[in-house]
Amino acid sequence: MKVEVNDQLISKLQNLALIELSADEKERIKKDIKNILEFFDKLNELDLSNVEPLFHPVSSGKLRKDEIQQPLSLDDALKNVKRKQDSYIIGPATYGE
Amino acid sequence: MVSEMILETVEKLRNGDLDPEEYVEKTYEKINRIESRIKAFITIRDKEEVKREVKEKVKENGKLSGILIAVKDNISTKGIRTTCASKMLEDYIPPFDATVIEKLKREGAVILGKTNMDEFAMGSTTETSYFGPTRNPWDLERTPGGSSGGSGAALAAGIVDIALGSDTGGSIRAPAAFNAVFGLKPSYGTVSRYGLVAYANSLEQIGPMAKNAEDLSLLYSIISGDDPRDATTISTTPEMIEDVELKGVKMGVLKDIVDASDKAVVSVFNNALDKLSSEGVEIEETKLGYADYALPAYYIIAMAEASSNLARFDGVRYGYSKYGEGNWRETFAKNRGEGFGIEVKRRILLGSFILSAGYYEEFYIKALKVRRLIKDNLDNLLKKYDVIASPTMPILPPKIGEVIDDPIKMYAMDLNTVIANLAGLPALSQPAGFYNNLPVGLQLMGKYLSDYYLMALASKIEKVLKLYDLTANIS
Repeated sequence: MKVEVNDQLISKLQNLALIELSADEKERIKKDIKNILEFFDKLNELDLSNVEPLFHPVSSGKLRKDEIQQPLSLDDALKNVKRKQDSYIIGPATYGE
Repeated sequence: MVSEMILETVEKLRNGDLDPEEYVEKTYEKINRIESRIKAFITIRDKEEVKREVKEKVKENGKLSGILIAVKDNISTKGIRTTCASKMLEDYIPPFDATVIEKLKREGAVILGKTNMDEFAMGSTTETSYFGPTRNPWDLERTPGGSSGGSGAALAAGIVDIALGSDTGGSIRAPAAFNAVFGLKPSYGTVSRYGLVAYANSLEQIGPMAKNAEDLSLLYSIISGDDPRDATTISTTPEMIEDVELKGVKMGVLKDIVDASDKAVVSVFNNALDKLSSEGVEIEETKLGYADYALPAYYIIAMAEASSNLARFDGVRYGYSKYGEGNWRETFAKNRGEGFGIEVKRRILLGSFILSAGYYEEFYIKALKVRRLIKDNLDNLLKKYDVIASPTMPILPPKIGEVIDDPIKMYAMDLNTVIANLAGLPALSQPAGFYNNLPVGLQLMGKYLSDYYLMALASKIEKVLKLYDLTANIS
């Protein structure tokens, strides 16, 4: 599949990934993404129609017991928070954008 | 202090033959003499604090009582800054220990410091670190490999005898090869990832690094094991094997991987194989198959998982948070834009693309299908062979700056190592020899859960090749 790597795609990816790029970075990454997608294109040489995807090398999915354990204290849990008030984290606005 | 096994050092510290104070002093003297030129560490702990801890620990009866260890900076250490070599986590101090750290502390190990790495383990040379590159102790103009380059360099420089790394596509084995030390990427699920800052969770494992196979095995025996806090750990323990006979070992050599490696590397590799052959190892050429497809498949999977795992870094609960006001989308995008370096952004953006509607089937699912083919091939080869060998890295350690500006060139370095991660198999790197004084690694890959077998084999091989306990001479 040929993907056109243009400014529009880079903007879309910035939105999906929530990463703001500078003008310089945009140009550099546009070029890199183009090369890397060509490198990925190699997989299209193979007929994979009868192969099952392998998501994980080991089939696991065991469950632990649902028991109350000693959690971090509130102070410890909030130690790395820059903006806080009492025992709350102050986040940016999520309403009215 | 160096060139003896950890067990002996523990014993000497315990019975008073080695003064704990002197042990710590000597280590810091070495750091003062060479660390500014190598930059193996991001954080080195206060000497007096470390000394106090070592003195306390030598009184206990642990397997590593009083032994100093270097820990890669993506493994959470309670109260010690854990940066992942990123501006994003420059001042992050974990409020908890990773499971592997708890286990090490229980056996008396003392953390000396946190080692440099590629940012969030994304890189193969330790040059994508926000704190600047680590230099290879064998040649200061060259990279130590990556992403666990700081741990590799700290061992090669003789600062520590044991270290922890993490390996997503070769990040333990590359620096092991380039620094002439030992490193194991364990069988997936045998070492807890609780407290490892996640990059690509279906591929990565924390693993031991050391200067000989015995220490490697000891360290693995301590950090491995089932963990209720990591649902991907398994309850089966790999069988403990302490001794193997070289004679009669069936070794398959991956010709398609060898052919893709530099001549200099291949000459050292073949020389090592000749010596093993005279010891009775039955060496046969074979093929991986799909070798050309392993790297694209690996990078698609790694980037897809990275884009999801690194979504947590938004500056709200921890990490870089210059921007806190205004609309959340803009705020997060600005914090992430300034907090992450270029390689991390590249991988998250591509990962987001790979997982987006219309491209998921085209890239991600295809990569997972190739993963299946490669795993099936390796499993089949390992029915025929006891071990699969190849050079660990296709090239000699590159010069600083040589590959960093060309992502494709950098990704190509991982060809020999990624296959073990795709398949979840154990793989180790040990010194194979030198080419113009530059280290070359021998990679051994084995059946799932054959970790101890591989290390017992490596222990025999290191004696045949006379390559263990190597320390670079830094003038």
